[in-house]
Amino acid sequence: MALSSLWVRITRTDRWLIAFTILAAVASLWLTIGRPAGQNVVIYEGDKIIFTAPLSQQRSIVLHGPLGETQVEIVAGQVRITSSPCPRKICIGMGEIHRSGDLLACVPNRVVVRIEGEERSYDLLSR
Amino acid sequence: MISSADKQETLEQTRQRVFMALFIALAVGLHTFEALLPNPLPWFRIGLANILALTALSFYGLRAMWVLSLSRIFIGSLLIGNLFGPGFLLSFFGGAGACLLMSAGALLLNRGIGLVGLSILGASGHICGQLLIASLVVVQHQSIWLLLPAFLLFALISGIINGLAADFLVDYLLQHPAFSACRKGFGRHHVEG
Repeated sequence: MALSSLWVRITRTDRWLIAFTILAAVASLWLTIGRPAGQNVVIYEGDKIIFTAPLSQQRSIVLHGPLGETQVEIVAGQVRITSSPCPRKICIGMGEIHRSGDLLACVPNRVVVRIEGEERSYDLLSR
Repeated sequence: MISSADKQETLEQTRQRVFMALFIALAVGLHTFEALLPNPLPWFRIGLANILALTALSFYGLRAMWVLSLSRIFIGSLLIGNLFGPGFLLSFFGGAGACLLMSAGALLLNRGIGLVGLSILGASGHICGQLLIASLVVVQHQSIWLLLPAFLLFALISGIINGLAADFLVDYLLQHPAFSACRKGFGRHHVEG
């Protein structure tokens, strides 16, 4: 009853738009998932590379950004940010990454962690 | 000498200004409120302020929507204190993207689109504008587009919620005599159907 009163507020064109958006989301998901696991961890500060290491190597890295120290950990082929001085800790909340092209970013501290494949990997836009 | 028709027109104009001021004030309130909410993931926002943009679009047309969105972002950012910072850039280009897609939807699909459809377009435009400016200026990495599928799904859900809220709000406001002159707005097609 309550649901049908909401349903009549959505016009036929709206329903097509909803279907189209779901399709676009699925299509973009299909483009982004299923990439192979990457080989190297590359860390950028702004545009320049400040650190690289193979993904298979267990280690923990301390980076110095404008706000302070960001700590990055490579464990069992996964990379994550374990501690960061940024106010909202979004980068820590981004979790673990391992696929080629995956990205962790801490915008306030200007740290970008990226996984790259063995050969020059292509990003989503150039594919 | 002012004829009564002129008087009627000035009255409508004044009404529109007053209501636009109220809508902008409400939108600024919602914008600020949303900035206070904790968000679990980067840039995931419900976009409650867009409800007012949709309302302005429905009553007063495209121009009013642009005026409302842009002034809401400026005043809201001023209140939050991130005016001209990275957060402001994201919300400014998000807002511009939202308005662009909503304008396109309102102009191209004006026969059948409802507020829910416009709201979905707005939410999608918002994330596209944000991701564009994030990839060009803030993060400067193309890989940020990997977030697109998750953002699109979230935009769909929040777009539907906002669209329904705007539809209810417009329905409610239409009962008020001050809006009697605005019965033919965008996105009101289900009323006739």
